Amino acid sequence: MTVEARTLAGGCPLWLIHRPGPAILSAKLWLRGGSSGDRPGERGAAQLLAGVLSRGCGPFSGDALADLVEGLGAGLRCDASEDGTLISLKCASDDAPQLLPLLLQLVRRPWLVDDQIDLERQLNLQTLQRQKEDPFQLAHDQLRQQLYGQGPYGHDPLGVEPELQQLGREALERQAAALGQAGAVLVLAGEIPEAVEELLLGGQEGGAWATVPPQRQAGPGGSSGDHFAASQDETEQLVLMLGTSTVPMGSAQALALRLLHCHLGIGMSSRLFVALREEHGLAYDVGVHYPARLGAAPFVFHLSSSSERAEEATSELLREWQRLLEQPLSPEELELALAKFRGQEALGRQTCSQLADRHALVLGHGLPFDFADRCLEQAAELTPGQLQAVAQELLGAPCLSLCGPAAAIASAERVWQRRQLR
Amino acid sequence: MKLSSQPEPALPIQPLPPPLPDPQRQSLSNGVELVQLHLPQAPVLCLDFWCRAGSALERQEESGLAHFLEHMVFKGSTTLAAGEFDRRVEALGGNSNAATGFDDVHYHVLIPPPAAAEALELLLDLVLQPRLDGDDFAMERQVVLEELAQSEDQPEEVAFQELLRQACPDHPYGLPILGRREALEAHRPELMAAFHASHYRADSCCLAIAGPLHELDLLQRLEDSALARLPAGGSPWTPRPLALQAGACTLELPRLEAARLLMAWQLPAAAHQDAVVGVDLLTTLLAEGRRSRLVQRLREELRLVESIDLDLNVLEAGSLVLLEAVCDPAHLDRVQSEVQRVWNELMDTPPAEAELERAKRLVGNGYRFGLEAAGSVAGLVGNSSLWGRRHNLQAPLDWMDRWDCARLSRELIPLLDPQLGFSLRAVPA
Repeated sequence: MTVEARTLAGGCPLWLIHRPGPAILSAKLWLRGGSSGDRPGERGAAQLLAGVLSRGCGPFSGDALADLVEGLGAGLRCDASEDGTLISLKCASDDAPQLLPLLLQLVRRPWLVDDQIDLERQLNLQTLQRQKEDPFQLAHDQLRQQLYGQGPYGHDPLGVEPELQQLGREALERQAAALGQAGAVLVLAGEIPEAVEELLLGGQEGGAWATVPPQRQAGPGGSSGDHFAASQDETEQLVLMLGTSTVPMGSAQALALRLLHCHLGIGMSSRLFVALREEHGLAYDVGVHYPARLGAAPFVFHLSSSSERAEEATSELLREWQRLLEQPLSPEELELALAKFRGQEALGRQTCSQLADRHALVLGHGLPFDFADRCLEQAAELTPGQLQAVAQELLGAPCLSLCGPAAAIASAERVWQRRQLR
Repeated sequence: MKLSSQPEPALPIQPLPPPLPDPQRQSLSNGVELVQLHLPQAPVLCLDFWCRAGSALERQEESGLAHFLEHMVFKGSTTLAAGEFDRRVEALGGNSNAATGFDDVHYHVLIPPPAAAEALELLLDLVLQPRLDGDDFAMERQVVLEELAQSEDQPEEVAFQELLRQACPDHPYGLPILGRREALEAHRPELMAAFHASHYRADSCCLAIAGPLHELDLLQRLEDSALARLPAGGSPWTPRPLALQAGACTLELPRLEAARLLMAWQLPAAAHQDAVVGVDLLTTLLAEGRRSRLVQRLREELRLVESIDLDLNVLEAGSLVLLEAVCDPAHLDRVQSEVQRVWNELMDTPPAEAELERAKRLVGNGYRFGLEAAGSVAGLVGNSSLWGRRHNLQAPLDWMDRWDCARLSRELIPLLDPQLGFSLRAVPA
């Protein structure tokens, strides 16, 4: 595997990860700016735009584009997340010459046809509605409100229903014109064709695409909302999410949190799995949610337990959080967490798509290409005391979000109140 | 529209470049099959133990036992304390998991190559001699009951379970893999031990390994392992043939936000590999991508659904194709009649060459992309070896080339007649 760093005319960094063998090519174009950049009153715009991008660009109508891509058995997706918009292409490497020119055309020459915007908007509205069937989604949406309020991270990237309903071509055109202006990076992994830059720039009009590499900068923060929130639902289980907003990927404390994540939530030997599932049989699904973010990333414990065990589940979950603040990891626990961290890295580098995806994410956050390798080295230097200090500094005041039957919520709330008084 | 759409010219399907090595097959002296596939570039190795012990072989009082046993296996063995397996595998940088299906169960470990030999020993000790301690059993039963409660809180899963119950009456595919609650509450460790002893036998198991194999002398190691000590049994179990029941019903479900049309059809069983590939092509032609028949008609043109999917579940007693359309309850009737209409049109006129070529590209690439990761390769060769199908990795692509539009029309499209399937309409209560 060899790696080349180049720059496309106009300024977009191009990273080539040569990985001959499976004759596959994966391309990831990361554009800074996702749902956290949605304007007030236009929440859902970034995802709506992402969905419409593949519905026609350059010389291709939506149908022609789908015929080309699907006809070659390839995959092309555009998705907005909180911090970025990601365009992903995966194809047989022989087909790359026909498909690579699409990437920049999607960004620079999208059609944005009213009829296709209507369809995509309708689909997103329906998805938002259907998601409410899932009690985990409800608890998660509620926690997002508690942690981020009306801030940039405060809504589902799909949007907010009344605002999404209003979104039309004008807003999308404004948004499309800004695509990549805050930073863009393109990563290709696999068997890469000759003269790849010419292919990428094929079909461009109006000269080079002027953009900049994604810079390191502070993303959106958290906002302190209610520490307790509950929504009633006639389910069998109570869903519990306990979490807080923390720090951006790449910040000094983030690596300590990543190790705590490994300790608490990765694998069947993880602390939460053992304590809550193996020792108490309280849940099937239990874990930690700690996604990479440009701003204040959420750090969340989650579990779902039968309603009649709400009190015990709440006590045990709070106990585990408290343990993190009061008790340093043992040397054995730290060593196991490090082994998992290294293992996760190896497991995350198996396919061309994984390689391209991980590097695009890192580079999109304005971090160096070898960021993951550096983290592996730095992680080995961290001590249990340092991890505990980070936990005490960042995890001191978590919020609890519940979804389930009224009686279970009441039991859980009693446990929560006792803890507040202590 | 600036340009009319122009279908791509049909291109020949390419072979797998470069050809993947053939699986190497060996047998232990007790008859357990070992299948290995060398992937020199892979950063991790996958060890995958397969056994013909899925939920379909449970007797009535054993409901949920195959899956519950899969949970209990991780609670330790005669040589490993509870949790020791996970801790040791994860300390080696690996991870493990397991899955129970209707037909079979498998336990797999992903591990960095230098630790593979140790992980293999741990895996076999764990799976083949479970401890089934009484206290652990009671605790793990709680976990399984939580798993059941969690799935019952997802109305979509409830709807699918009901579809299978009605479409496969008198067949184990109609019963929940997780089991019935009352049966789970009544299970005892002795029953589980007997289940393990009678089904985890040499003739019913196979071990698949994919990844960089150079430094492993596995056969030698395996001859001294728990796997080599497994007793051989009589003839291996196979599930009895499925006879799907056509029909229709409507189900009112609390907490449902969008209506569902679910449909099930019976297609050829896994053993008919060439036909299964044909069904894969047909379901892709119908519902994979914007230009597939159903997606284009129901989502893109008529805009009746949020999504429409057609999943092929390849099973030993008869495969199942499951359709799911998500829509506004007010659109259910039209969705149903449009599905019927799409099928009628295909019956009247065979699909176009370009449609089939598109499907072949999608299926072929999907298959090739899946071969990149050691875990999926081990799963593929492990599952097919378990059921006595000993082809190489190129074979499915060759079978695909035997299908043309006329043959699809003749042999498979008639099987998707909505009148032959079971339709369930789920609406918000």
